[in-house]
Amino acid sequence: MKVAFLGKGGSGKSTIAGTFARLLARTGQPVLALDSDPLPGMPYALGIEVDDSPIPDDVVVEGPDGGPRWVLAPGIDPADVIENYAAVCPDGVRYLQFGNTFGHISTIQRAQFAWSETVAGVDPKWHLVGDLPGGTRQAMFGWAKYAEHVLLVVEPTVKSLHSARRLLRLSEAEFAPKAFSVVANKVQDKADIDRISDRLERPVDAVVPLSPEILTGDRGGLAPLDADPNGAFVKAVGTLVNEVVAMYPVDTKGAK
Amino acid sequence: MKIAVVGKGGSGKTTTAAVLARTLARQGKDVVALDCDTNPNLGLSLGVGDLETERLLTLRDQLDDGEIDHAPSWDQILDTFGTNAPDGVRLGVITRIENPDPG
Repeated sequence: MKVAFLGKGGSGKSTIAGTFARLLARTGQPVLALDSDPLPGMPYALGIEVDDSPIPDDVVVEGPDGGPRWVLAPGIDPADVIENYAAVCPDGVRYLQFGNTFGHISTIQRAQFAWSETVAGVDPKWHLVGDLPGGTRQAMFGWAKYAEHVLLVVEPTVKSLHSARRLLRLSEAEFAPKAFSVVANKVQDKADIDRISDRLERPVDAVVPLSPEILTGDRGGLAPLDADPNGAFVKAVGTLVNEVVAMYPVDTKGAK
Repeated sequence: MKIAVVGKGGSGKTTTAAVLARTLARQGKDVVALDCDTNPNLGLSLGVGDLETERLLTLRDQLDDGEIDHAPSWDQILDTFGTNAPDGVRLGVITRIENPDPG
């Protein structure tokens, strides 16, 4: 499966995406977590340290006229990039981030191209779980076009719903994903679910409850799977994983 | 004075900016609130409502379609493309992305 999490900043994309990736990996499938946020939040949810090491510049060389500005250097293929530069996470998830902006502003462009060229050519054995920056900019510019299925994370607030309505316009894009699921996050009661389905004019596909244990874990830098491994948040994301797996049956010939 | 509010998504930038703008306006200052987010929501936090927040965004389409003219000056941009928010704040929206487009 190839999914990407979208939504307004602070809606909980990274927290859900990182947990989703680890629970999916526990089914025994190879999972590549993709983070195109220059201020990445996904490592916290995956349970690894945030580091400041972008994919090195010499992984790419200047591309041909009319093609991408940078392409993978001769002798380097997407599998090499994953092997060498995707961090190893708990449950066997590999995490590929395009280089954050804590330090390497001048070189981030090449790291971004290395990231997108790797994603474009990735072996289909990988299940892709992507996390985008908040808002509409990257999504509207096609940064989630690897995803066959978009998981739209929405909290029951006016601003989050407003952003979600704009993001649903991706269904009109030439690179539109096959399907969207609406993931209601920080839900306190039935009225929250109704608020979301009414405003988006579509049903809510998954409900993730507001969870004090996760908020506390966040303050201490603990991933949900470490802060509250059997709690309501993890259970809800597990249900979501099962539902998406059912939609995209695993091709066992392609799995290791 | 000129203030910019920055921070991580969901940290409360828009809410803080809106309260700052209206508080300053209540003190009698002339306040322009500028939404520079590509996913602009400041109108919601200022209290102009979601219909008016979206209407500001469609002005660009009218410009592109030739239905309205470009504004030649800063003041006229705010007159033509801004909207009045509570407490006398004038809201202008700088950027937004409407249509998905690879690149």
